[in-house]
Amino acid sequence: MTDIKNLIPQRSPIMMVDELLEAHDDVARCCLTIREDNFFLEPDGAIAEPGVIEHIAQSASAFAGYNAMQSGATEPPVGYIGEVKRFRLNRRPCKGETLVTTITMGPTVGGVTIITGDTVSGEENIATTQMKIYVAGE
Amino acid sequence: MLLENKYYKVLRARENGEGKAVFHVAILPDCNVYEGHFPGKPVCPGVCNIQTIKECASLLVGKELRIFSIKQCLLTAIATPTVCPEVDVEVEVKEVDGKYSIVATISDEIRLYMTFKGEGV
Repeated sequence: MTDIKNLIPQRSPIMMVDELLEAHDDVARCCLTIREDNFFLEPDGAIAEPGVIEHIAQSASAFAGYNAMQSGATEPPVGYIGEVKRFRLNRRPCKGETLVTTITMGPTVGGVTIITGDTVSGEENIATTQMKIYVAGE
Repeated sequence: MLLENKYYKVLRARENGEGKAVFHVAILPDCNVYEGHFPGKPVCPGVCNIQTIKECASLLVGKELRIFSIKQCLLTAIATPTVCPEVDVEVEVKEVDGKYSIVATISDEIRLYMTFKGEGV
C-alpha cells in the first residue's frame, strides 16, 4: 500500500514488517519474510521467539501509522509495547518463510490501545498474542 | 546466545536460592540495534529485554530455553543505555515435567523496567 518506512519509525537492523497488505476499520494485515540478515535469526536458521513479538508489535505500529497518515500526520508515530499478554508460540519461524499477521485493534483509552495479533505462515498458525501499545506524547 | 555480549554483558551473577539468581548486566550502548530503534534516539527494545531474561534463565538452568508462552509481560518504564547502563535481571525458574516456568524482573536502584511470567522448554 505505502512504503513501510512511512508507517513505522523502526529502521534497519530491526525492521520486522515488510508491508502493510490491507487495513480497514479495526483490522489490518502485515507481512514479513525472514531474511538472512534478520536481527533475530539464530544459527539453526530460525528466529528467536521475541522476534515474533516484535513483528506483531511493528504490524500494530504500521496499522497505527497508516491511520495517522490518513489523519494527515507526516511522521510515523513512535509506539511502545506496554504489555504482552497470553502470547502463545507454536514454533519458531525459519529463514525464507513469509509471516502474515492480522492485527485487530481494540479501543484506545488514555493513549493505550489493546490489540490482538495472529500470525500465520501459509495455513499454519505460528503465534497469537494480546498487547497493549501506547504512543509517546499522548 | 543471540544477544549476550552484543546487547548486554553479564558483569556478575549470584544464586539467590533454589532456582533463583540475579544477573547484574551492562546494557551495551554500541549494539547495532540502536541504529534502528530509533535513529538518533536509542531506546532498548522491550523484546531485547525479553530475550535477555530468557538467556539469563538459560544460563541459570544450564540449557538453552525456548519460550512457548508468556502469561504476562509488563513494560513499566522506558529503558535506554543512558537511563539504565546497568540493570539487575532477577530470574526464578522452576521445572515441572520438562517445562520451565520463568518469573523475572529487570530493574535498577531507581525503577522497575519489566516483569515477566512465561514458560519455556
